[in-house]
Amino acid sequence: MTVGTRPVPPGHLLWLAAGFAAWCSAVVVLYAIHAIGCAFAWSAGPLRLCIALVLFAHLAVIGWLWRRLGRADPSPDFGQTGSFLRTAVVLATIAAFATTIFTFSATLLLTVCV
Amino acid sequence: MSASLDRPPQGSPALRLHRQLAAIWATGTGLQRLAAVNHSVIGLRFMATAFVFFGIGGVLGMLTRVQLATPKADFMAPETYNQVFTMHGSMMLFLFAIPLLEGIAVYLTPKILGARDFAFPRLTAYGYWCYLFGGTILSTALLAGVAPDGGWFMYTPLSSNVYTPGINADVWLLGVTFVEISALTLAVEIVVSILKMRAPGMSLDRMPIFGWYILITALMMVAAFPPLILGSILLEVERAFHLPFFDPTRGGDPLLWQHLFWLFGHPDVYIIFLPMAGALSTIIPVMAGHPLVGYRAIVVAIIALAFVSFGIWVHHMFTVGIPHLALAFFSASSAIVAVPTAVQIFAWLATLAHGRPRWNVPMHYVFGFFFIFAMGGLTGVMLAMVPFDWQAHNSYFVVAHMHYVVAGALAFPMLAALYYWLPLLTGRMAMYQLSVPAFWLVFVGFNLTFFMMHLTGLRGMPRRIYTYSGEEGWNWLNLLSSVGGFIMTIGFALVVIDLLTQLRYGRRVRRDPWNAETLEWAMPIPPAPYNFASIPNVGSGPDRNAPKGLAPSLARGEGYLGFVRNGWQETLGVHMTSGAAEQLIVLPRPTYLPLCTALATAVAVLAMLFQFYLLALAAALVVAGLFVLAAQSAGLSQDYGPMPVGNGVSVPPHTEVAGSPPWWALIFALVADGTLFACLVFGTLYLWISAPNWPPEQTFAPDLRLALAAFAALVVAAVAARGALRSLAADGMTHGWIGLAGLGLVAAIAAVVGLIGGIVPRPTEHALGATTAALLAFVASHAGIGLLFLLSNLLRLGAGMVSSRRSLDLRLTRLWLDYAVMTGVVALGLVLALPALVGILRT
Repeated sequence: MTVGTRPVPPGHLLWLAAGFAAWCSAVVVLYAIHAIGCAFAWSAGPLRLCIALVLFAHLAVIGWLWRRLGRADPSPDFGQTGSFLRTAVVLATIAAFATTIFTFSATLLLTVCV
Repeated sequence: MSASLDRPPQGSPALRLHRQLAAIWATGTGLQRLAAVNHSVIGLRFMATAFVFFGIGGVLGMLTRVQLATPKADFMAPETYNQVFTMHGSMMLFLFAIPLLEGIAVYLTPKILGARDFAFPRLTAYGYWCYLFGGTILSTALLAGVAPDGGWFMYTPLSSNVYTPGINADVWLLGVTFVEISALTLAVEIVVSILKMRAPGMSLDRMPIFGWYILITALMMVAAFPPLILGSILLEVERAFHLPFFDPTRGGDPLLWQHLFWLFGHPDVYIIFLPMAGALSTIIPVMAGHPLVGYRAIVVAIIALAFVSFGIWVHHMFTVGIPHLALAFFSASSAIVAVPTAVQIFAWLATLAHGRPRWNVPMHYVFGFFFIFAMGGLTGVMLAMVPFDWQAHNSYFVVAHMHYVVAGALAFPMLAALYYWLPLLTGRMAMYQLSVPAFWLVFVGFNLTFFMMHLTGLRGMPRRIYTYSGEEGWNWLNLLSSVGGFIMTIGFALVVIDLLTQLRYGRRVRRDPWNAETLEWAMPIPPAPYNFASIPNVGSGPDRNAPKGLAPSLARGEGYLGFVRNGWQETLGVHMTSGAAEQLIVLPRPTYLPLCTALATAVAVLAMLFQFYLLALAAALVVAGLFVLAAQSAGLSQDYGPMPVGNGVSVPPHTEVAGSPPWWALIFALVADGTLFACLVFGTLYLWISAPNWPPEQTFAPDLRLALAAFAALVVAAVAARGALRSLAADGMTHGWIGLAGLGLVAAIAAVVGLIGGIVPRPTEHALGATTAALLAFVASHAGIGLLFLLSNLLRLGAGMVSSRRSLDLRLTRLWLDYAVMTGVVALGLVLALPALVGILRT
């Protein structure tokens, strides 16, 4: 810690995981909705709509995180550690956004319950 | 009240300081070795034991290669072959790979981070003994001919008591769970120690990259092992008490086991890989003479890898009938996991390209790693593609891929790390004349053995067959594979000879022979039990600590804690992100308690194995009692206030701060427990939605009054725990509140037992009853553990170990009971909702 700076609160470390935690949530919720929809023989349209809504909701959350964390200037009070963590958080969030698009795009295109 | 302290000796010469510290930190001789809790001793024991199991597992692997070298071989009977390949896989994964990386983490991490030990030395020792006893149970079963024989992932229904009667599968379930408990305790300890016990000034941006790797790995272990532990418990309960979690004829589903196993199994691949990648990220910059390129990108990559590795467990289940749409996103996830891995590979290559690499023994193995891991990674992406996986599934192609990514990606960095850090352990360098031929034998042998398996797999050879007719076109490939296995074994034997020779004839070296920049080289060689005579202040970037210049001043006691006080084993606790010194941590001295507790645990496991359930219960109670006993000697018996730690800094002891290691340890333990609970909820819902033979003929309406009573009693206990804490702060009647909390928990247990007694269908008749019983048992067991917390509180209050400033005990109890209420609400709510959910199935 540089002289004159204050420590980054430990809770800020959770932001490192926020983007990918949302990605994990997308995996679990999409898999669950898909399994439930197919088990109860939902028709393809509503099931696809549910899946799309869940996907876009998660993308919106991760996108919001990216926008919020990316725009905020690192507090100079937090010194080099704050700067390091902020960059790492933004990169991790961007990676989570790209991963979400890559992994779940096919859910909008493929036949739902084959 | 602040007690007066011994005046720290000022300006002690290095030798005198060394003698004073050694007298406090050293492990005794003779039988006292069994009381060792020091991280260096336990870390070395972990590694040595892991190598013994590696040897046994290696011999088993060679036996399989002898059997498969020629067609129609009758070297082994099929029953024996089943045990041999099952134990080969189980030993290599559970008794070698994971414990080895734990040993490396335990031994090296405090040294690299500038600490004197881990946060919970007695837990480290307990973890080791659990590992040793669990491994011994598995090995003894092999000698007795009753070893597990259902494959290292123990698929149901093959491993159910219908198809595997006898104790073979029980040995695996109980033995592996025993070892996993060890792994989980160590994971929690590693996380807390890295976050809270670094050298002052070592902020997270200055933390050596090895620390990041081990931190992320340990966090992955915290979340990855609970699914396997839950699955093993459920399967053992099914085998022992006939609750049908996995039996499709009674509403269970074998695929639930696969889900739980691979929720552990896939992250486990990265749990094994990441510490080795941490070793590579430490070794490569030193050998290249250039700082690691892309430190920040690597940190992000390993965070991404950790998460994505959890989301791809289904790629082991591509052939079980999951709908295409779900397969698509698990396939895409399995492919994209290559990206963060590639970030690391390119960072290492860039580091080498920017520097002037030295071509020495560790670098031979680094080269071997690059080659092997690239091969394994590429076949991994191939198997991530569903159409290819459908063709190659369950063939030797998968065996080849797995050995390239798990065995190769572990063995080669492991040997690089061994040769790199051996001078730290022994003060001697390897003998080049033996080391290099050994490398080439291992490298050539490895590729000959496992590359051929790709080809046999593509030619249709299924895994786990004990022989073949000879007309399939696999003969020469299998023979070459077996020859390669022997060449590799000769190579490993040469490595052992090389290491033993080095101990006696290796060239003696001075401190930091590689010109490294990490703190483990700033200590005496071999390391003293206290690691650093005084703890350094870190003022520069990661992996740039100039140990050669730092070491003499640390030895003279010019860092933090360069003195002894009260005969305490002292180290420093720091702020999680900034690394500023914030607490003085006083660690426990050597004790036989970890050994006794592990022995009692072993008795419980063996009693379960041989179906002496009352004895198992009694031993489990003894274990609980020993944990309560261990807690009695933790902490300090009076308030001290801030104490000097050197360099003009004073900090309070860990007993008097809010964020002490035990507090964080309980939080991470709850994360692990919460993962297990989430898996139990998942299992319940999974069976509801997917298992055959649902709905059952009868369903029960749970007694709402009992459920509400259980919930209310849990809430009373949690509120009373808060009252106890407030009362402690006001010097009031804490005992009364604790008594009320105890009554609440007893009432909750009674109500839950009443609920279990009224379950219809009975837990042995249908999975609905079984999962309901499991959810309720979870609530009751957590209330029971809450009683242990309260008992410990009462004992420690009576012994004067708790005060308004030393309130950690009561805060831990409050946290546990809050958690018990939260999980209780979910569990009881799900139990109440299950009849309605089953009703949906009927419509």
